[in-house]
Amino acid sequence: MTAPAGFELLEHTADIGIRAWGPDTSGALTQATLALAELMGIRVSGPGTRRRIRVTARDLPGLLVALLDELLWIHESEGAGFVALDVIGLSERNLVAELETAPAPAEPAGIGVKAATYHQLAVEPRADGGVEARVFLDV
Amino acid sequence: METRRLGPFAWEVPVGTVDGMRVPGVVFASDELFRKAVDDRAVLQVANVATLPGIVTASLAMPDIHWGYGFPIGGVAATDPHAGGVISPGGVGFDIACGVRLLRSHLDWASDVRPVVRELVDALGVRVPRGVGTKGRMALSRADVVRVLREGVRFPLSRGIGDERDAALCEDGGVLADASPDDVSDRAIERGRSQLGSLGSGNHFLEVQVVDEVVDPAAARVLGLFEGQVCVMLHSGSRGLGHQVCTDHVKAMDGLMRRLGLEVPDRQLACVPLDHEAAGSYLGAMNAAANFARANRHVLADAAREAFQHVLRRSAVDLGLALVYDVAHNLAKLEEHAVGGRRRLLCVHRKGATRAFGPGHAEVPAPYRSIGQPVLIPGSMGTASYVLVGTEEAAERSFSSTCHGAGRAMSRTQAKKVMRGADLARSLEAEGIELAPAHLAQLSEEAPYAYKDVAEVVRACEGAGLTRIVARLRPVGVVKG
Repeated sequence: MTAPAGFELLEHTADIGIRAWGPDTSGALTQATLALAELMGIRVSGPGTRRRIRVTARDLPGLLVALLDELLWIHESEGAGFVALDVIGLSERNLVAELETAPAPAEPAGIGVKAATYHQLAVEPRADGGVEARVFLDV
Repeated sequence: METRRLGPFAWEVPVGTVDGMRVPGVVFASDELFRKAVDDRAVLQVANVATLPGIVTASLAMPDIHWGYGFPIGGVAATDPHAGGVISPGGVGFDIACGVRLLRSHLDWASDVRPVVRELVDALGVRVPRGVGTKGRMALSRADVVRVLREGVRFPLSRGIGDERDAALCEDGGVLADASPDDVSDRAIERGRSQLGSLGSGNHFLEVQVVDEVVDPAAARVLGLFEGQVCVMLHSGSRGLGHQVCTDHVKAMDGLMRRLGLEVPDRQLACVPLDHEAAGSYLGAMNAAANFARANRHVLADAAREAFQHVLRRSAVDLGLALVYDVAHNLAKLEEHAVGGRRRLLCVHRKGATRAFGPGHAEVPAPYRSIGQPVLIPGSMGTASYVLVGTEEAAERSFSSTCHGAGRAMSRTQAKKVMRGADLARSLEAEGIELAPAHLAQLSEEAPYAYKDVAEVVRACEGAGLTRIVARLRPVGVVKG
C-alpha cells in the first residue's frame, strides 16, 4: 500500500518530473517541495528560518508551478535551501505558506532545474482519498 | 499512430492525428530516427503544435526530435501574424537563445596542443564558471544588465572584452535591435546580475576540439577550417535571466488564454496572437534575453582565449582564436518566407532547431554568403561535433531550419544507471579526452550513450536537403557544465 504522503521522480527523455502525493492538496504541495530539494541535491547547514510566501495562479495546478518557481527563485537569489512547507491558506488561485529555509552554501550536487512547466500538469484526487500532484521540470 | 512516408528522410503526421490540427506535421528523419521519435511520444507533440492558431504549411520536426514539454525538442513552427498567428514562449523554451559558438585557431593539434592538453583543460576549468546558479565572470549592476539586454555583445566589447570581429560574425551582429528591457522582470534582471560569463549545467559545455575530417574543402576554406586544426566550441544560453523571462511570460499568457478564447492540447503551448500586447511584450523580453545569451557566450569565449594564452604563452594574434560563428537554437524570429507563391512575414519558432539560411541570403555574414549560413551542431560529450551550412532548399522545406544536436535518447536517471560518473570519466580519458566536470556524480547523465548518434542526425539533415556537412570535429578536452 502506498504511503499516505510521499513523492517519486518521473522519467522524461530530456527533463524530469515529480509525482507527489499527500492526504490533501496542502500535503501534496509539501511533498512536491521536498521532491524539488531532493532532486536538486540541495544540502543545507545551519539554523532554519521561517518566512511567509504567497503565490497566485489561475487555478490549482497553476499554483503548483508558481510554488516551484518561487522556490527556485529563493534558492538562486539567496543561496537558500528549503526544508519544510506548511500551507496556511489555499484557494483555487492563491497559496499562502510558511516556508522554512536554511543556508545552502555548497553547490547543489543534484540536477540543475531551470523552471517548472505546465506540460502534463495535474493536481487531482486519488482513489485513497488523498491528492496527487504531477509536474515536469525543465532541466 | 498513422504516419505516411513523404520521401527517404521525411514523414507526414496527418491532420486528424489529434483534434484541432490546422496543418499536417512533417518530421525530417531517417527510418531509425523516426521510429525513435514515435516511441518517445515526440511525434504526438508535433501534432499538438499543429493546432496553434495561424500556423502555416506544417508543424515541423528536425531529425534530432525528442520528447519536450509542449513543443517537441527539434520542433519548428511558423505562424502568420496576418492570419491570427500566435507566439508561444514554449516554442522557444526556458533557455532563450541557447546556442553554440565556434572559435578556430592557428594551432595544430599534434604539434601545438597535444603536449599541453591536460594543462589547458585545467586552465579552462579554472576560468570557466559552471554548474547550477554559479556566479559568472562579470558581476553587473542593475543598470549594466539593462545595457547587456539592449546591447548584446556590444556591452562586453565596451569593457574591452573580446574582439570587434566577434560581433561581425555572430548571428544578428551579436545584438537584436528590438529588445525591450522594460518587459524583463526585476527577478530576471536580478538573476542576470551575477551570471554573465557562466556556462550553466546539464548539457552545456566548452570543448577543445580538433578538425577531424573536412568533407567540403571549398566551404571549409571560406570558414577558415582545416584538418588537424584546434578549435573551441561552447554551448550555453541566457542562464537564469532567460529562464525567468520564459517563466514570467508563459504564466502571463496562461492567464490570458481563456479570456482570448484560445485552447491548446498542452498547457505549456500557452500562446497569444502576435498582434496582442502580451505578444509584443514577450518578443521584446525574449530579444533582450537573446542579447544576454550572446553576451554570455562572448564573455566565455574570452575566458577560453585567456586560458590558451596562459598555457601556450603566445600572443592573441599568434593563437588566432577567431570567431567562426555563433548561432542560437532556441528562438522565435520574424522572418520573410515564401508560402503559396508569395513572400510573407512569419514568426518562426525554433525549439531545439537551428536557423540555416542558404547561400546568398542577406542575413548570412558577408564573408560566408557564397556558401550559406554556418550551422554548429554539438555532439554529445565525447562524440564528434559538426559544422554544416544552410541550403536554398531548406527555405521551402523547413523555413530554413535544421537540427541542433544529437538529441537525447535516454532519460537522465536511466543514463546514470548504466554507468557511474567516475567510470565514465575513466573511459573517456582512456579514449584520449581530458575532462573538467562540474560534478563527477552527474557526469553520466550526459553520457554519449544517452544520446542519439549525431552522425546519423546530420546525415539525415543532409539527406532531407536542409543542410550540407562541411567538417567533423572531435573533442580532446571537455569542460562540462
